[in-house]
Amino acid sequence: MLCKIAWGNVRRAGKDYLIYLLTLTLAVTVFYAFNTISIQVDLAGVSEQNSGMGDLLGGVISGLTVFLAVVMGFLMVYANNFIMKRRKKEFGLYQVLGMSRGQVARIMTLETLFVSLAALVLGIICGLALSQVMVFFTASIFKTQIADFHFFFSLEAFCTTVGCLAAIFVVTLIFNLRVVARAKVIDLMGAGRKNEIIRVRNPWLSAAIFIAGIAAIGVAYVRLLDQGLPYDGQPEGMRDFLITTVTVVVGTILMFYGLSGFLLKALQGVRGLYWRGLNMVTMRQLAAKVNTVSMSMAVIAMILFLAITSVTTGMSLADTMNNTVERGTPVDYTRCLVYWGPRSVAEMNSRKAYAEDDVVYAVATGPVDMMAAGKNDIMNPDTPEAKPFDLASIAGSYVQVDAFDSTPRDGDHPVVSLGDLCEAVDMPLPAGTENSDMTTLGLMVIDESTYNKYLRFRGMEPIELGENGYTITSDMGATVNDVYNKVLGEGIKLEIGGRALTPVQDRVPEDASTFQNAMMGMNSGTIVLPDDLVASLNLPLYYSYLMLNYADGVSVEEGDAYVAAPRTYSDVLNEAGESIAGWGTEASRTVTYESVDSMNGLISYLAIYIGFVLVLACAAILTIQQLSGVAEAGANYRILSELGTATDQIAHSVLAQQTIFFLFPLVVGIAHAMVALKVIIELVALFGGMSIGGTVGLTTLIFVVAYGGYFCVTYLMSRGMVHEATLARHAA
Amino acid sequence: MKTAGANGAPVLEVRHIEKVYGTRNNATHALRDVSFTVEEGDFIGIMGASGSGKSTLLNCISTIDAVTSGTVLVHGTDVTRLKAKKLARFRREQLGFIFQDSNLLDTLTVRENIALPLTISRVPAHDVLIRVEEVARRLGIAETLEKYPYQLSGGQQQRVAAARALVTDPAIIMADEPTGALDSKNARLLLESLETMNERYRATVLMVTHDSFAASYTHRVLFIRDGRIFTELRRGDAPRQAFFERIMEVVAMMGGDGSDAL
Repeated sequence: MLCKIAWGNVRRAGKDYLIYLLTLTLAVTVFYAFNTISIQVDLAGVSEQNSGMGDLLGGVISGLTVFLAVVMGFLMVYANNFIMKRRKKEFGLYQVLGMSRGQVARIMTLETLFVSLAALVLGIICGLALSQVMVFFTASIFKTQIADFHFFFSLEAFCTTVGCLAAIFVVTLIFNLRVVARAKVIDLMGAGRKNEIIRVRNPWLSAAIFIAGIAAIGVAYVRLLDQGLPYDGQPEGMRDFLITTVTVVVGTILMFYGLSGFLLKALQGVRGLYWRGLNMVTMRQLAAKVNTVSMSMAVIAMILFLAITSVTTGMSLADTMNNTVERGTPVDYTRCLVYWGPRSVAEMNSRKAYAEDDVVYAVATGPVDMMAAGKNDIMNPDTPEAKPFDLASIAGSYVQVDAFDSTPRDGDHPVVSLGDLCEAVDMPLPAGTENSDMTTLGLMVIDESTYNKYLRFRGMEPIELGENGYTITSDMGATVNDVYNKVLGEGIKLEIGGRALTPVQDRVPEDASTFQNAMMGMNSGTIVLPDDLVASLNLPLYYSYLMLNYADGVSVEEGDAYVAAPRTYSDVLNEAGESIAGWGTEASRTVTYESVDSMNGLISYLAIYIGFVLVLACAAILTIQQLSGVAEAGANYRILSELGTATDQIAHSVLAQQTIFFLFPLVVGIAHAMVALKVIIELVALFGGMSIGGTVGLTTLIFVVAYGGYFCVTYLMSRGMVHEATLARHAA
Repeated sequence: MKTAGANGAPVLEVRHIEKVYGTRNNATHALRDVSFTVEEGDFIGIMGASGSGKSTLLNCISTIDAVTSGTVLVHGTDVTRLKAKKLARFRREQLGFIFQDSNLLDTLTVRENIALPLTISRVPAHDVLIRVEEVARRLGIAETLEKYPYQLSGGQQQRVAAARALVTDPAIIMADEPTGALDSKNARLLLESLETMNERYRATVLMVTHDSFAASYTHRVLFIRDGRIFTELRRGDAPRQAFFERIMEVVAMMGGDGSDAL
């Protein structure tokens, strides 16, 4: 019997439940589909190219699933409250008719259960379909081919989904039961009739609060643009950033709190506009509504801000890597050697006293021949195929570049540093470098003959420094290169080792600055000086780079396989048996490309995932708010109709209200995001110019589809509700 | 200001209207062949028990409901044949409504509530504010103009509703059980306001009620039973008390329906 009532209720209250069902179904769909990512990655052939990517993605996604579950749970509770509010009277009636609270609670439980089950079934079906389609999407993001497409079903994803839904179900149930258990019958019965008490705020005060909010936001913007992001974790920077964050959050809340009062006062100021058509009704409805939901609007604005920022940043980063990877991989294979500096040697040797370490460290007196030193590495150790790592067996042409630290062995200060150069051209330190090692440690130094050797290897024209010439190389982004370009362009004279040097080039040779394969620029500034000057400066060695192209007879696959084979890393010793250096990063061009693709895939995936979910949640909350608002205002629309307002006009008024509701948080979110992105771009530009342009397209598309879709559904449903309300004859 | 029929037609002419609910097999006749005429400046009461069809009659006249057959002429125009757009305009310009529950928009102030029919008709803001002020003063609610409906008593709310009905200077004011939700003191105040509107400002009022006391304020009462006009009483020059007693007699004769209303 209870079951029958519950089923009947769901069918009858179908409209109210529809939005609940829709939201829940969407949640389940997204949930299931994204939880199948590891399978998709397999199917799309990503793992063949890059094993572990699927697991990594799967791991990250399941972490995000928890986050998603929280967001969706919140959403469900919200949607559920909307239904409960409209049905209180009915539950009161059951009790008046003699049903016990337990029975009413059971009816409610069954209702929620029916809808949740329906959502589960529909959601899984949609999710199945979506996950099949997403395989192609995955393949395109990771730039792979689908070798063997077949229909798949993930039991694991299914179980996760059911588990999360069950949790959400329990939460909503507890909320509902509390409503029934707490409410007095008289309140339940009166719920339909009782006019919502409209808290009217003093419009002048509201307007003042609004202005204060705007001011706070303005201050936060200026602070952020001025101070930038705390990238280095300095407590001062963090504190400033925290203050800025709090300011913008408080400002946003205040602004939405005072919004209605401000709008009202602003429009009332224009008499001809306010006392015209339904304008004043629109404004008053809006004001009444905004008053009750100002907090959630502020939260939505902040969430949209987060979504826009994370999506855009992520996608742009991916874009940047795509653009710089070609310049960043000049040769088939690179390897790098890191020399111990004088200070680290002293420190490591002193630590030996209490560490079980019998290695003695020393400062290198001359460069290590990397090809030779590499032979001490053993390939396939502990197997019959064990053999020395002999790069000569695969190498065609190769070059070794030795770079020096700019701080002399016996000195404390670098002979040239980024800070000095900035001062010389009167430019501020680039964002992100203010307190970093780059400023104080100075540039790397290489001598003219080494650089010319490198240039000839790259097939480029050698340079001629002469007695007193210099130039600077760097493949980092515009922020740093702007400084170098200005230094070179203005012909700034540098005083190094008692010699006045003048630049021989007028800009940084960005295409002749890369010494190792990498996704992004790694050379943050290397000054090229005459050989005799470098020799006289007594500089310690810093890095050696080995750049190598595979021999004609060695295919890329063979070469890659050779360098990728498991092996031990040898110590790099001098004649005295002291350790002078350690092996640094090595990368083949193929691996770099692949990791760029995977990284792109990962970032794009997460960006889309987070962005989509957040936008979806925001839009759904707005929709529910709007629909419940229209339902509450149904009587008002009926009165308007009886007073002779055409339904079209009422619909326009509703459209205006909803446009403001949907648009305002979005506008605020975008404004916040634009300021934040400006700062982020400055920081990220360090690693190679970041462009927003290309990614905005996709981001916008996601937003338009998710947000705009919800907006359209909301308006269409509202229009239906208005139409219904105006058709109903006024109740006697 | 009054949009009196230049052609001399009566303000309202109801001709043989019928209203049938339900299907052919299961039809309910809410109205059967109802005809009457209202002249300008009339104050007419329509009485009847619950379910007698009096509210249906009002709804049909005010175009909120459509008649099954027959015509309703307002200033000689047949309003049963108007299209949706024109209907809205007709309601807006020719009719003023007062309902049992005042039906004020709770989000608007009193001033805005009264101004609403004018702003919907796109009357210039300057005129709107003057007319609202004027009608509010007439009904003695000028000091409540900045308040919200929930801050007013039931009686005040009804007078605001009356002001809203009057502000457009409509051809007919339709009052549907306007005293239904009021205590006797406030009911009396409202009825006196309607009387004033009718006598001093020549407003034509059509009031549906099942309350004999309320009906006694009118000049003429139509009694409806089972969808037909059962009888009609005219007050003439009789004092209100005498008219009230005559009404009570008819009510008693009709079966005592509605006599419990006092």
